Amino acid sequence: MRKNPKVNEVNEFLEIASDFEDPLEVIRESLSNAYDANASNVEIEIRSREMGSDIIIDDDGDGMNQRDLESFFDLGNSRKTDSIGYKGHGTKIFYKSDRIVVNTASDEANLRAEMDKPWEKLNQRELPQYEVTETPVRKGNTGTRIRIRNFRSGQGFDPESLTYNKIEHYLKWKTIAGSTAYLFDDEDREMNITVKLGDEIDDSRQKLETTTRFKFPDEQLDPDMSSEFPAERMCKHYKPTEVEVEYEGGTTTLQIVGMVGGKAARNELPTYGKHSAQFGVWLAKDHIKVERLNEAISHDNEFLHFFFVVNCQDIELSANRESIRNKSSPVYQRLTEEAEYYLSKVAQDPWFKEYLETRRDAEIKRRARNRRSSLKDRRERIESGQALEPTNRTEVLLTLERANSKSDASTITVEDFEPNADVHAIVRQGGKLRNAAVHHSLTDHFEDDLTFEEVDLIICWEYGDPTTLREYERTGYLGGEIEFQLESDGLVYEDDGQSFIEILCLNQESDKVTQQAVISD
Amino acid sequence: MSESVISSIDFEVTSRAGDARAGSLSIRDTVIETPNLFPVLNFYGGGTINSNYGGGIHRTIKEFLIGHERINGGDYSKFFDGVMTSVSSLTDYNITRERYDDYVSQPIKERDVFSPFSGILFIDSGGFKFLSSDELDGSNFQIEIDQAKVYEIQQKMGADIIVNLDRPISPEDTHKQRIKKAQQTGQNIKEFLELSSDFRGARYLTLHGYNYSMMDEFLTEITRYTSAETLRSAFDGIALGSLVPKKDDRNALIDAVIDCRAVLKDWGFEELPLHVLGISSRAIPLLVALGVDTFDSSTYLQTAINGGYCTSLMETVDISEADPEQCNCPVCSSEYLKEWMRGNAPYQKDMLGAVAMHNLIIQKRSIFEIRDRVRRGETEPLIEYIESTVAQDKPTREHAHRVVNHSLGGYF
Repeated sequence: MRKNPKVNEVNEFLEIASDFEDPLEVIRESLSNAYDANASNVEIEIRSREMGSDIIIDDDGDGMNQRDLESFFDLGNSRKTDSIGYKGHGTKIFYKSDRIVVNTASDEANLRAEMDKPWEKLNQRELPQYEVTETPVRKGNTGTRIRIRNFRSGQGFDPESLTYNKIEHYLKWKTIAGSTAYLFDDEDREMNITVKLGDEIDDSRQKLETTTRFKFPDEQLDPDMSSEFPAERMCKHYKPTEVEVEYEGGTTTLQIVGMVGGKAARNELPTYGKHSAQFGVWLAKDHIKVERLNEAISHDNEFLHFFFVVNCQDIELSANRESIRNKSSPVYQRLTEEAEYYLSKVAQDPWFKEYLETRRDAEIKRRARNRRSSLKDRRERIESGQALEPTNRTEVLLTLERANSKSDASTITVEDFEPNADVHAIVRQGGKLRNAAVHHSLTDHFEDDLTFEEVDLIICWEYGDPTTLREYERTGYLGGEIEFQLESDGLVYEDDGQSFIEILCLNQESDKVTQQAVISD
Repeated sequence: MSESVISSIDFEVTSRAGDARAGSLSIRDTVIETPNLFPVLNFYGGGTINSNYGGGIHRTIKEFLIGHERINGGDYSKFFDGVMTSVSSLTDYNITRERYDDYVSQPIKERDVFSPFSGILFIDSGGFKFLSSDELDGSNFQIEIDQAKVYEIQQKMGADIIVNLDRPISPEDTHKQRIKKAQQTGQNIKEFLELSSDFRGARYLTLHGYNYSMMDEFLTEITRYTSAETLRSAFDGIALGSLVPKKDDRNALIDAVIDCRAVLKDWGFEELPLHVLGISSRAIPLLVALGVDTFDSSTYLQTAINGGYCTSLMETVDISEADPEQCNCPVCSSEYLKEWMRGNAPYQKDMLGAVAMHNLIIQKRSIFEIRDRVRRGETEPLIEYIESTVAQDKPTREHAHRVVNHSLGGYF
């Protein structure tokens, strides 16, 4: 018996509509549809409502006939072939609402379609229906107006999260408004886009106006040597390049365009998220950016400096256009190889090397300036009579040597110093060589888990936190008992046998408090 | 340098593509086209005249050189329009004094057995080998090597191009060691020029260093012994040495050649032919693009000895996987030699020798093609060649792009 596999239509509609997670995707789909309908102008209005958002999309495109209208509501029944929305998935995002009304005027028909409670019905496992009415055609007045009531935008369109600024960046990064097609096609149409947000969402301005062209920051090949960050505004354009690529099973064309630039130049670009999540190499379809391919840039070169769009019409997208589906295909394999190849040329562009060098040189100079200012502080401290306060082993020994020159008492001279060994120094005292651990604080010896084997003497600047020392007395150290006898300048450690380790604290004056605190315990 | 010497040597650049140049190098009656590759070959490998002076795989290559009947004849001369050999290789085969005396008793090209060979013979001093021991060490004799001895041997062997005895540097050398070597080389150069004032071939000055400052310092040191003006008038070419330890570090190699060109320009040597000692193979297209005129290499032999059969300049397969039917070179077109390559050869050296000859032809054909592209006088044909060869190989791609950007006008 032959059987036909079945499709659960309601579930399919639910699934596809749910795939669109970001409510902003409704804007992307509307713009793509308007562009596909040859519109010169499109206006999108969004108002916040208690249950969601009301959205009106108005374009002056070719309008829809009966068949187009069916495609609008049907799933996977698109009539478009070489346009952006050829799958018949995009408009299904509108189903996440309480009502859809489409008024459309084409040269063939003047139609009105209404669908009530699509989302509620789908969730009740019922396929929503729509009613179409036709009125006489008025020639020369084509266009489409779509009204969506209570679009389920979640918190996405709340005043807290939606602003003109956010929409502008989204438009340029994720939709046809960020298209680079015009750089390749002289015939490319430009569409004017207007977005109006209700004052309850963002009242900072009346509306947002832009077009379907992505603009790169102006080129600036030379560094600004008057700036502390001379490479920051440097920017080089890499002109639109078409590369024919053969792959197993056909040929395809890559359209590559981009720029390399410093942070200030990149800041002139719209950004949707963090710089690190935005820059690099974007694979695009219909000149709308889809996914990044940062592995196309070798590891030596930070992808952040690059912004390239590699467009290829032979990549296939998921329903929500957020990812590429045919990554295991030969065409994808070849296009990534070619993108990598092209970017290797960019990475070896002498200008790019100069740009990196300018950045590096400026960074070194800035560091040097910081060093100079810290040097100034240090010199001022000396001039004010403040003594050297050691912060590391070397400085502790320097302090010791100074103390030698000032003191008449028996001196300790450093004969050997290996800061990374367990026993840091060998010193000569009264003609004899002694092994010394050297620390800024006595407590460091314990924090470094050093033993007392072979250690005759601990030289430190200060004792450190007395409670830390008392804790070691209380709980023991490396399986042995320890007793600090700071008044006798030493400690007693008892493990297999008992040993007395002398402690030379160079800052005894200021450390008397610690000494008292330990002794009094 | 006498008037007659000057007139017997001519290097003429006929076309340029970016920094790359193509031209001709005439020495006495021999003319070769540049850029060109000199295969390294030992003419004397322990044997006597009866075995074409032996040398294992070198013997088989010499049979190709002269179209010997053992390899079923044929004319391979265009692949041997220039050949490199070295003074220090004379005793590679532990020969006796008697044999040594025989080897240096007559110029190579004047021997009947080598008479079909009419290419340019470049005889290196072998300075690298003499760093560790200043002598030629035979089975029952030693010959102390100094500049005079090296020149005497170069002359006796009938060289067309000679270099002074040099002291190559190594990356581990301290500055002091490098200076000492430069001074020793400087002394040798002075002596070399005095000794060879009536030499009728071309004299190449060895240059050592990994960057501009090192090479500039080298030249400064040697001009303590010989004035820059004398160097400019006496030498007919430059041989850049000491790069073998850097051969796998393409960036270092490119840096050295770029800087070498800059130093030569600043010292007034830029019109002289530039030879890079001991580096070629896959680096050939890049070296040419950077402006190198000639190079020498033994990789065609080494690859064969290691079981490699070149399918192109960039690719090598194991001999057992080689398919000579896919190659139209004279070796692979000969049923007789194909049998050799399949292992049905009188000796292992013959099998490997045939493969080595094939490898050399692949390299030489590449250089012919590169030269043709430079001759078109535009950078595009050479860029296309580099794109389809060196740039296809991921590890060398960035170097290819670097060289195109630096020396061939760039991509952007």
